[in-house]
Amino acid sequence: MLFDVPWNVIVLQLFFGLALGSIFVLLASGLSIIYGLLDIVNFAHGTFAMLGAYAVFVAISLSGSFLIGIVSAIVVVGLIGVVIEFILLKPLYGKDPLLPLLLTFGLSVAIPDLIKIIFGLIGKPINYPEALSGATVLGPLILPNYRLFIIFFTLAVLISLWLFLKKSDLGMIIRASTRDSLMVQVLGVNVSRIWTIGFAIGIGLAALAGAVAVPTMAATPDMGVDMTMVAFVVTVVGGLGSLGGAIVGGLFIGLVVAIASFIAGEYATVSMYFCMAVILLIRPRGLFGEVGRE
Amino acid sequence: MKDPEDKRTILQDVELKPKATIVWGTALVLLVLPFIISAPLATEILIWGIFGLGFNLLLGYTGVLSFGHAAYFGLGAYSAGLALRYWKASLWTSLLIAVAAAVLLACFIGALAIKRRGVYFAMISLAFGQMLYFLALSPLKHITRGEDGLTHIPVINLFSISLNKPIPLYYFVFIITIGMLYLTWRILQSPFGKLLQAFRENEERAKACGFNTTLVKFFSLVISAFYAGLAGALNTIYLGYVPLTTLFWLTSGTMVMMTILGGKGTFSGPLIGVGVFLFLQNTISVFTPRWEIFVGAIFVLIILLFPAGIVGTIRDKYSTHKMKKLRREAGFPAARSE
Repeated sequence: MLFDVPWNVIVLQLFFGLALGSIFVLLASGLSIIYGLLDIVNFAHGTFAMLGAYAVFVAISLSGSFLIGIVSAIVVVGLIGVVIEFILLKPLYGKDPLLPLLLTFGLSVAIPDLIKIIFGLIGKPINYPEALSGATVLGPLILPNYRLFIIFFTLAVLISLWLFLKKSDLGMIIRASTRDSLMVQVLGVNVSRIWTIGFAIGIGLAALAGAVAVPTMAATPDMGVDMTMVAFVVTVVGGLGSLGGAIVGGLFIGLVVAIASFIAGEYATVSMYFCMAVILLIRPRGLFGEVGRE
Repeated sequence: MKDPEDKRTILQDVELKPKATIVWGTALVLLVLPFIISAPLATEILIWGIFGLGFNLLLGYTGVLSFGHAAYFGLGAYSAGLALRYWKASLWTSLLIAVAAAVLLACFIGALAIKRRGVYFAMISLAFGQMLYFLALSPLKHITRGEDGLTHIPVINLFSISLNKPIPLYYFVFIITIGMLYLTWRILQSPFGKLLQAFRENEERAKACGFNTTLVKFFSLVISAFYAGLAGALNTIYLGYVPLTTLFWLTSGTMVMMTILGGKGTFSGPLIGVGVFLFLQNTISVFTPRWEIFVGAIFVLIILLFPAGIVGTIRDKYSTHKMKKLRREAGFPAARSE
């Protein structure tokens, strides 16, 4: 017992926080990869997560399978990312660094309205997939299966991302381009294509976050802004352009929001901004940020 | 472009010192504006114009992109609204309170974040803006009335003229706008204004010259929050209530779009951007409630094709033309890559 709250309730809240944090991790790691590689802060990041959520909705209403929904979210939104990078962002490289940011902001204004025209203003609820509904009883704890799935799914995505970046040739080139893209180009790699791939991976991670999160909420046209905001707060807390920072920051903010919504529900959203302000005060470059990048 | 240095020197002649004729020409257009378009729309243009003048000082002249200016605008709007509704404050007191609140908030956010790099500051300012939005939405609901917005704001009289009639209200806002235009002009003429532009052009060099860049950026933020707070308070008087959307991120975003549309770093750019934007918005929303898709798409096209904005593009064309003429007169061969 802590302040008259039974321990298992506290652990359950922390568990919820971990699941929420996992979604934040997926969001923020995508943002981090794009920033690291292309030096672009993607203001439409949450908008792509929203598109991922709608992709799941469409795939489920067509096929009935949640798995197909997740796969189609990452494929469809990843391809949209490729097109956007190729047509809209490429012309802006090497110009004022604020232009790509402003362009993605314009997208975040326009795309939700497009979704409103296609799917209507009202959100689309999505049920928990059959196999993942229910709960697992673990001693005094009752853990909802879907949250367990979110945590393990995120873990699997992160491990494969890590293996991809560390072990594959393409991953090595991406890491090298993050360090020094000019040098990579000199060595005969088509860096322009690497940027497209990197952008698609980052957007794909955002779409995954939206896809995994959507059964716990509903797909609404305006959910994107809130998700962009979460990605930003996590990035400021964890440190810009650092994958480790995205992971630790995401879990940390997830726990903070879960605890705040348990103690004082109306402060749940505000709590993460307080967190950000405190981090800015005591460690401006974020938990894992490199000096000079902030 | 063969010789960028050359162009920059001429640009400074053309625009960085806004001529008095531009200032008074703008004032003259605004004087007759309510007889050309409807008075409420004209008032809205002035209010957003004041907001834009301040925002442009920060974005256009200092080169700092804030995505959270709704925080200052909304805080000004709410402070004025609360003062008028609960304390029955006078017009001038409520304006003063609004401006003071916005400036204090800017001091706080500036102290926390102004040192950060450009994109980082954009993210942080947006996050703080949303923090205020969510504070007003739910934890402070008992004061701000949450989603409904703050209503029941008494009608204000100035020298026994009621400000809820369109034309008197317009000219009240007009006089304040002229004051702010004059203030902006003086700021840009002052050594401080020159310093802002020096930082935008080359921060490292200004630093090397011994100027405290952080402090100057901080003051630029605070001054622009002053404009935003004032505009917010005027918006409260204009609408007679405070909608929660004054704090919403899209309000900040709209300001960014207006300034870029008109031309950041040009004196009359924000006013023209505000006018064109509000006109577009009003026109499109007659046909469809989904105006954001058009506005967003137009903004994307502007970023791709005319990042200098309306006034900026005209200015660039004019200065290129002027440079060619100067070269011809001086007997230089025409630049090859123009």
